[in-house]
Amino acid sequence: MDDRLKKALEFSNYQNALSVQRQLLKEKLNSSLIYGYNGGIFKVTESLISFVQFLIDNDRISDIPILDSNSNPILIKDMKEFRDSILNVYFTVVVGYYSEYEKIKKNRTIEKLVEL
Amino acid sequence: MNKGIILFAHNSKEVDYSVLSIIAGGLAKKNLDLPVSLITDISTIEWMKESKIYSIALSVFDKIIETQRPREFNHRILRDGVESKKIPFINQNRSSVWHLSPYDKTLLIDTDYLIFEDVFKSYWQLNLPFMISDSIKLVNGKIGVLDRWISDIAPRLFWATTLMFDKSDESKIYFDLVDHIRENYRYYADIYQYRHEVYRNDIAFSISKHIVEGFKEDLSNSLPYILSLTDKDELIDVKSDGRLIFLLNDEISADKSFLSSCKDQNVHIMNKQSIVRNKEKLLELI
Repeated sequence: MDDRLKKALEFSNYQNALSVQRQLLKEKLNSSLIYGYNGGIFKVTESLISFVQFLIDNDRISDIPILDSNSNPILIKDMKEFRDSILNVYFTVVVGYYSEYEKIKKNRTIEKLVEL
Repeated sequence: MNKGIILFAHNSKEVDYSVLSIIAGGLAKKNLDLPVSLITDISTIEWMKESKIYSIALSVFDKIIETQRPREFNHRILRDGVESKKIPFINQNRSSVWHLSPYDKTLLIDTDYLIFEDVFKSYWQLNLPFMISDSIKLVNGKIGVLDRWISDIAPRLFWATTLMFDKSDESKIYFDLVDHIRENYRYYADIYQYRHEVYRNDIAFSISKHIVEGFKEDLSNSLPYILSLTDKDELIDVKSDGRLIFLLNDEISADKSFLSSCKDQNVHIMNKQSIVRNKEKLLELI
């Protein structure tokens, strides 16, 4: 086989493995960002955090219904407590995601990438 | 309200579902911190005793519930990487879980679904009688039409790999209807246009859900999607820190495969034989 083709195929394999590993990390991120509260299921996103902060800034701080990820109305008894909880989920998960993401970025071989 | 996890295991000559259930049950017990029970039959229990894994089963399972073994009229292709053969598929009594589960709220999982993270923790508190996963995502990113829909003209396919239900009359309706659909599987195949040769719980539960919920697609009672490997992919190694190493089949070029791995993620490994091949290492993780 031509050396150029061989190198290209090796790199293609690596890129393929890298793409799958990144995708797996994203799946892990998505499932870890699910947060259950008062019978509702919330995906903790930047927009949820901003919306909750917006409500607090506008004095909507207790007994406020908001829509969960399934569009069901869920009563938030204490909005500040809810904000603190989702912020905690967000940062715990995203910090973990960042460190795993950086780790796979540095691994330049398939063996290191999958921690064989 | 007591909560717990249930698995079914009916051994066949080709697949040791008992060892799969111990692995999947042990991981679920450890990582969800809840009791796990097994629904099985006398011949599978005898096999566990004979193969000296019964003592492990007793330590993993809160209860071992004996039931009648379903008749082996269902056959399907068992793939193990590039190899494949037709085998009996004993899955016809899944709906009996509503009666057999000793828990007020139950999470039912397949024996090839390995739990490493508690994505279900937020779902136990939901006041919903019946929940089922609404999709799978394949590790290799590819997904076929029949992984999404019952058939190309029918509604969404839900995945009975994970089910959560309570013991209400409302949830019972779903399971009773699954029984009826199984008994009239060919009739429903005409309506929903799926292949009737192999009975699939995913299809029966999807139709039941479709009918019970007013012939509409309702995703408000969905469990998390199921991260899956196909039966053409293989689990090839298990590291002591829990990292699973896979050989993924390349869909474009069948003779090509590539490595992948994951850690601390729930994963549905359809290639059951590859789980069995790694049983010693997996059992060390429970």
